[in-house]
Amino acid sequence: MQNEINEDIIELFIASAKEAVATVERIPANANSLNNALVAATENDAVLLAQPDDLDPELFSIFKLNKNIVTEPTKEQISTIKTGITDAFCAIASTGSICVSITKNLTSHASMLTRKHIVIVDSKTIIPKPRDIFSEKYLEGKGLRRSFSIITGPSSTADMGPLVRGVHGPGKLHIVIVG
Amino acid sequence: MENINDYKIHPREVADKSSKGTLKKAIKLALDVESDAVRLNTQTFNTNRYKAVKKIDDYEELKDRARQIKEYSIQNLPQLIIKLTDTIEHRGGKVFLAKSKKDATDYIKNVCLSHTARLVVKAKSITSEEIGLNSVLEKQGFEIAETDLAEFILQVSKEQPSHNVAPAIHRSRESISELFKRNFNTDKPLETGEELTEFARDILRQKFLSADIGISGANLIAAEEGTILLVESEGNIRLTTQLPAVHIAIAGIEKIIPSKKDFGIFIELLAASGTGQPLTSYTNILEPPLDLPILNLNGRKDEQREFHLVLIDNGRMQMREDDSFKEALYCIRCSACMNSCANFQAVGGHAFGDEVYTGGIGGAWAVGTTGILEKGRFAELCTGCSRCIPNCPVRIDIPKLNTTIKNRLIKAAGGPSLQKIFFGNFSIIGKFASVMPSLSNRISNLSVSRTILEKIIGFEKLRHIPLFAHKTLAKQYKEYRKVNKVKSKLNELTPKLVLLADVFTNYNNPNVGMAAIKVFDKLGMPITLSKLLDEGRAAQSQGLVQLATKRGKKLASYLAGLIDEGKEIIVAEPSVLALFRYDYKKLLNNDNQFDKIARHTYDPIEYLNMLVVNHKLDLSNYIANVDSSKPKIFYHGHCQLKTIGAGYVASEFFQRLNYTVKVSNVECCGMAGSFGYKKEYYAISKNIGDDLTRQIIRSDSFDNNTIILASGTSCREQIGDELNNPIFHPIEFLEKILK
Repeated sequence: MQNEINEDIIELFIASAKEAVATVERIPANANSLNNALVAATENDAVLLAQPDDLDPELFSIFKLNKNIVTEPTKEQISTIKTGITDAFCAIASTGSICVSITKNLTSHASMLTRKHIVIVDSKTIIPKPRDIFSEKYLEGKGLRRSFSIITGPSSTADMGPLVRGVHGPGKLHIVIVG
Repeated sequence: MENINDYKIHPREVADKSSKGTLKKAIKLALDVESDAVRLNTQTFNTNRYKAVKKIDDYEELKDRARQIKEYSIQNLPQLIIKLTDTIEHRGGKVFLAKSKKDATDYIKNVCLSHTARLVVKAKSITSEEIGLNSVLEKQGFEIAETDLAEFILQVSKEQPSHNVAPAIHRSRESISELFKRNFNTDKPLETGEELTEFARDILRQKFLSADIGISGANLIAAEEGTILLVESEGNIRLTTQLPAVHIAIAGIEKIIPSKKDFGIFIELLAASGTGQPLTSYTNILEPPLDLPILNLNGRKDEQREFHLVLIDNGRMQMREDDSFKEALYCIRCSACMNSCANFQAVGGHAFGDEVYTGGIGGAWAVGTTGILEKGRFAELCTGCSRCIPNCPVRIDIPKLNTTIKNRLIKAAGGPSLQKIFFGNFSIIGKFASVMPSLSNRISNLSVSRTILEKIIGFEKLRHIPLFAHKTLAKQYKEYRKVNKVKSKLNELTPKLVLLADVFTNYNNPNVGMAAIKVFDKLGMPITLSKLLDEGRAAQSQGLVQLATKRGKKLASYLAGLIDEGKEIIVAEPSVLALFRYDYKKLLNNDNQFDKIARHTYDPIEYLNMLVVNHKLDLSNYIANVDSSKPKIFYHGHCQLKTIGAGYVASEFFQRLNYTVKVSNVECCGMAGSFGYKKEYYAISKNIGDDLTRQIIRSDSFDNNTIILASGTSCREQIGDELNNPIFHPIEFLEKILK
C-alpha cells in the first residue's frame, strides 16, 4: 500500500471527500503545479501558510514567494485571516478525511481559525480506513506517534435546525492531492 | 404545537423524575411543545445510522470487538487508572481522581483560581453536567462560555440537555430564533439557520480569543499512551483544547481503554451509530500537554501549556460492583438507543431523562451517579420493545437494565402495584374470563367497571379492553381436529410442527392460531397445538422478574421436551417468539436449553418462507395475477420481531407472491404490550400510533381497502384504533389466499 500509487484508493478517496462536501483536485508532485493550484485556490487573498510537517518543503519553493503569504502572523492577523494552507500527513479513502498534525508549526491553527482550509496531501499516504491510522502497518506507524485531527469535510452543525456549514472551524475545505 | 418559550412549565422544573407526578408533567410538557422537533431530529439520525452502518462491512465483528474491549477495560479499571495516571504525569500533565462531584468541582475551581482566570470556554461535556460544574464556577465569579452551539442555546434558555449527542434536539429553528430575539439586543438578522449560526459563532469567537482556560470532556482515553479522543462537528473542541494554554479534560473513569491502537474501532462505530456519518467533521487525537505554540491571543503571558485530567468516579466504582449496572459502564454515549426508540422519538430527554442523562441507557446512569433509585423512574418509559439492542455498538441490553430498575422500584415500594399485577398476570385473568367470555367482556367494558379499572388499575378508559374470545384457541382446535384429522401430504422428512398456544393467541386471538393451523394443514404439514402455559412475557414487561423466570422455566422445559422429540415450534405472537430467541438466554440461565429453543422456534411466515427459499415448498399456484384486482398491502414490522431478524420476512414473502407491499419505518407501534393501555402513558402511545397511521395513510395509493398486516396483537390494536381498514396477522392473510 505504501510508497506506491494505488489508483483505486485515490479514486475512492476523491469520491468520499466529495461526498463529505470537500472540493478536491489532483496535481503532479512538483513546485510549479502546486504553485498554480494554490494561486488559483487562494483567489488573491491573504493566506496563513503553515510550515509543512511532513511534505517536502521543496514543493512550496515557488508558492512561498507569493506576496499574499503570511508565515509569522501577528495576533491581529491570526485572529482575522480567512484562508489557511497546511499539509496533511495522511488521508483516508473510505471517509474522504485528511489528517492534520498538532505540532510546533501553525498547522492546527491554520486549519481551525480560518474560514477556508486548503490542505495538501501526498497520494502515497492515502490509507483505506480510519482504523488503519492506528496501525504500525501503515505510514510507518506515524499515526501512533503524534497528536492530530482527522478532518472530514467542513465544520458543520445542525443545532440551529437545518444543516449549516462553517461554524467554529472553516466552512470550506479544499484538498490538493499531489502525485 | 404550543410555543416552548411561553410554556407554563420550564423543563428544569420537571427534570428530576423521583416522583411519579413529575414524570407525568414532564410527559405532558414534551408532548405539548417538544415532540415535533424531537421526532424530526431523532428520526433523521436514525435513518442516517441505518445507512451508515450498512457501509461498514464488518459491523457485527466491530461491535463484538468494541464490547470485548469495554468489558476488559471495566474489569481491569483500577490498573488502567494507575497506568494512565503514570503516563500523563510522565509527560508533564496532572491527573486527579475525584471520588465525588464536590471533589471534582473543588479541584477544577482551584485550577481556575491558580491561573487567576476570568473566562472559561467549555466544550460539550455531559459529565460536567453530572458534577454541576457550571454553577460552582459561576458562583466563584468565573464567566463560563458554552461553545457547542446546542449547549450555547441551553445556556440561554437555562434548560437541561434533552439528548446526549444533540442536547438541544427538542428545539426547532423557529423556537431558537425567538429565544435569541428575546435574549439578545441586536440588529443582526436571526431567522435562518445560517444567520443564527453566524450570530452565535461571532459571539463565541470573541470568547475563544480571550479565554483563559478551556474545559472539555473526552470520548475515550487510552491508558498506555495517555491519548484523549474527542469527536465533534463544529470545531469548538479544537479551539477549546488548543487556544488557551490551560486545558482541563473531565471524564468518567469508564472512558479509559488500554491502548489507542483500538481507537479506530470506536471512531468508526461512534460516528456511524451517533449521527450516521462515516466520520464527523473533526476527530481529535490529543496527547496533552500539546506541543503547540501558545498564541496568547487573550493578552496573557502564558509560557507553558498545562493539562489537567479530572477523572470522575461519583458512583461508577459501585456500578462496577453491581452485576446489572456494570453493563451501563460500557456505554460510549453514541445515542443510537435513543434515536431508535419510538418513545424517545415522541418525547425526548426532558421526559425520558433526568437533569443529565437521557433515554433508555439514562436510567442506570441516573441511579448510578446519584445513588438514588427513584431518580431512575423514567426507566418506566422503556417498553422493552428492544429496538435499541441491535443498534447498540457495544451490545448493551438496555431493556434489561430498565427491567432491573423497575424491579428494584417495585421491591423498594414493598411490592408491585395493582396495575403491574393486573398486566403481569394476563394469563390468569384470561383463564377466568374465558369461562364466560361474553359476560366477562360485557362486565369489563361496562362504564362502571371501566371507571373502577381506571381508578384502581390505571387502565386508560379511551382504550378498548382486549376482548376475550368466545372460544379459546384450545377449544376451537379440539373441535376442529374432531373433523380434520392430522395427516401428512409431504414426504416423511417434514418435521412435525407444534403451534404454541401462547396466552395472547389462546385467549384473545384464537382466529390467528386457527389460521396458522389451517394454513399448515392445507399445505400438508402436520401440526398440533401445544399445552397452554404462560411464557412469562407479560410478567417480564412489568418488571416482575422472579415471576417471569418461574413461568419461563416451566414452559422452557416443556418446549425442550417437544424439540427432543423432533418437533419444530411455530409461534404466532412475535413478542413471545422474541422471548424464546432472545430474553430466555438471560432469564433461563441455561445456555444449552436456550440454544435449543432459539433454534427451533419460528414465526409462521418465517418458517414457510424458509421452506420456499430452500425449494422445499412450492407456492407458485398462489402467485397473484398481475391484472387481477389484488389487494394492496401495508406491512408494519413488529419491534421485537425486527430485533430477532424476522421483522421483514412477511413483506418479502408476500412480494414473492407478487403483491405490492409498503412497509413502515416506525420502530415500534407504541402500544408495546400493556404500555399503551396504561392511563399515564396513553398520550405517548397515541402520539406514536399517530406517526404510524400517518405513514400508512400517506403511503402510495392507499385507500380504504388497503390491507394492513401486522403480526403483533398490540400493533393491530393500535392501528385499529385509528383506521377502519382490514387488519390481519400475516398468517391470516395467507389463509385467505390459500382458500
